[in-house]
Amino acid sequence: MTILVVENVKKTFTNGKSEILALDNVSFSIGDNEVVCLVGPSGCGKSTLLRIISGLEKAYSGRILFHDQPVTHPIPQISMVFQLFGLLPWKTALENIELPMEVLGVKKEDRARTAQEYLRRVQLEGFENTYPHDLSGGMKQRVGLARALALHPEILLMDEPFSSLDELTAKTLRELFLYIWRDPSAPPNSMIMVSHNVEEAVYMADRVLVMSSRPGKLVGEVKIDIPRPRQEHVREPIYFEHVDKVIEMLEKGKKQT
Amino acid sequence: MGGLAVLCVMGWSIMTMSLNPEAAAEAANLPFYTFSTISRIVITLVISVVWGVFFGILAATNKVASMVLTPFIDLLQSIPILGYFPMVIGFLFLLGPWGIELSVIILLFTSMAWAIFFGVLGAVKSIPTNVVESAQSFGLSGWRYIRHIVLPAIAPTVVAGANLAWCDGWFFMIAAEYIQYQGKVVPPPSGGLGYLLARASYFYGDMPFAIMLLVFITFIVVYFNILTWHKLMERASTGTFKPIIRMDLSGVGKIGVARPVHWFHFGSIHWPKTFSIISQSLRKYSRIEKVTAAILAFVAVFIALYLQSEHLPTLAMIQQGFSSPPADELSRLPSLIFLTMSRLTIAYIISLVVAIGLGVLAAEHKRLSAIIYPIYDIGQGVPILALFPVMFLGLNKVFGTPEIALELTCITMLVLDMIWYMFLNVVSATKNIPTEIKEMAELFGFKGFKRVTHIVIPFILPSIVTGSILSWGTGWNTIIFAEYMPSTDPSIPPLSIPGIGSLLDKAGYQYGNTVLLVFILGIIATIVLFMEGFIWRRLLRKFEKYHIEI
Repeated sequence: MTILVVENVKKTFTNGKSEILALDNVSFSIGDNEVVCLVGPSGCGKSTLLRIISGLEKAYSGRILFHDQPVTHPIPQISMVFQLFGLLPWKTALENIELPMEVLGVKKEDRARTAQEYLRRVQLEGFENTYPHDLSGGMKQRVGLARALALHPEILLMDEPFSSLDELTAKTLRELFLYIWRDPSAPPNSMIMVSHNVEEAVYMADRVLVMSSRPGKLVGEVKIDIPRPRQEHVREPIYFEHVDKVIEMLEKGKKQT
Repeated sequence: MGGLAVLCVMGWSIMTMSLNPEAAAEAANLPFYTFSTISRIVITLVISVVWGVFFGILAATNKVASMVLTPFIDLLQSIPILGYFPMVIGFLFLLGPWGIELSVIILLFTSMAWAIFFGVLGAVKSIPTNVVESAQSFGLSGWRYIRHIVLPAIAPTVVAGANLAWCDGWFFMIAAEYIQYQGKVVPPPSGGLGYLLARASYFYGDMPFAIMLLVFITFIVVYFNILTWHKLMERASTGTFKPIIRMDLSGVGKIGVARPVHWFHFGSIHWPKTFSIISQSLRKYSRIEKVTAAILAFVAVFIALYLQSEHLPTLAMIQQGFSSPPADELSRLPSLIFLTMSRLTIAYIISLVVAIGLGVLAAEHKRLSAIIYPIYDIGQGVPILALFPVMFLGLNKVFGTPEIALELTCITMLVLDMIWYMFLNVVSATKNIPTEIKEMAELFGFKGFKRVTHIVIPFILPSIVTGSILSWGTGWNTIIFAEYMPSTDPSIPPLSIPGIGSLLDKAGYQYGNTVLLVFILGIIATIVLFMEGFIWRRLLRKFEKYHIEI
């Protein structure tokens, strides 16, 4: 079942007097329980696309449909994890998770309980009253994840969520994200991740969407048919075949422009 | 060109305004006075730039120089500039007319130089490590290193700092050109606009004349800002590796010039960076450095006393100082300090509230900013010290009681003086909220009041502290001037409201009691340093955690 449709999205930026086309007619859809990765060279507009899906930015033309309803502004059902975490330094881990719920008008005891619960899910028990300043990068991203999940989103958007972490931490966190995604009792249903790391994309996604550099266009799609959990398959030829396929498409996208 | 024409017309109308014959004779000197004031400020500017660049680079690159210079200059600029004025001129007056001119320039220098020094210091220190390292790996050193790396890197800061110094110069001009020494007014031999304005309001009490002059001066300041500084700023910021210089500030207004703002205000690179420079400068001094600074300050005081009396201060001299007027007021010292502190506190709270309100609105609302920024632009062009006599004249007419008028003038002046620092800091800090935090706030639905209390205010708190330090610093400078009103007639004693600022003025201007002057300066310096150590530094350290790493 399709839950989100991206329909002919175009985006332009004005640079002084000239207009630059950033996204050119991008269309795709996301199904239930799907992990989709957007990969492309830097500056191809993949982060912009993610922001349009979240409702943070407006498309020049085209639209986003979530359960057949157009998305024009941020909604709690579509939540996001940021590259640099976006935590408030003046709030503790627990308060950071609670705050968006407070904005939504959740009762005090309820939000404290929910925040606690998600802190447990991201394995940060005992860090409730720690400030971001005293957390490591990986821990901060766990808080970021817990904050997004606490709103029970159907779709989780991730803007290069692991790219500011060291590889070992990133690996652990990828596992954690997938673990939470697989847990049927917990949100989210589907995830859209922006990445420039092809191997990461193949490791995480059901489908990898490849974009060309400016103007950003979809140049192809690779379905990843590797059984999960994929940890057992990362050394097998099937994994590398998929990686090669994505890289080949990226190269082709480069030549077109 | 149009501006020049307006200037000429304004000048002509000031000269031909119907005045009493004596005042008219003085007003006829306007073109010459304008020329002498401008050249005075330009000369001081050149000296300040050369001094600031030289010592700034020295202090930033040489450890020993930094240990001696930085805390000492920090101390000098945090005690009220107007305070040590009489000490300097007492000595220089012995040199005749040139001495008077020199003392005006020295006073201007002490109000203009710090901006450039601290700007250069910060800019040299924030040259990116990779640039420094690559320069070293290519063997650039000595003069070539300075010529190819340091000077281009600091150029934008120097231009911005010089611009601030220029505004500062105009700000203090009225105090510098209307020198009172031992109860007498000593006019600079070549006159000046500040002198003319002071005459118009103190001596002639001619309100329309004073207002016209004030508008004339403001116009010159704003006109020069548009004409020269803007272009210079644009040119200086291209071709350097940190082109963001002053971008925030020029965003603040079309004329975009910061008012008499002290050093780091130059809007150097990023505001967070600016912030970190000040917090460092507050924290980094070791005990040795503080002791060095204190010793140097003592030496300076002794030299000043020595120059005054031409022999080292003896116990008898100090005793004499403490027994001659206005020593009789020393018994009321605690209440005088309390009164001055209350004025400063009231003005501080008013400017804090107004600046945060307007600053956040201006930074967050596009439409409101279209109204607030132009007001800011013109407001910061007005040399506020020059406003003092004009405002007093006006309020005195309204209330009829000079004391109430002076009290109100004093607090209004303080507010007008303090508010720009706060406003500028609030605006640039609000504009500097990282995109991700803004996106996060929007994504999770923070709007209106919730956005301000949860996101904006906590984020700008460190900048508010920085702004507060500046506000209090400039407040101390201003209150010395604002608690004391020179008389319009030599036979009438000057008007003053009780406070430690007016006590200082009496000691300096009225009685020429250097011993007492130094003593009161010491008290003020102690209060300033005490507040810095016990309030601001603690707050800065507390808010350090709020810094968002990008």
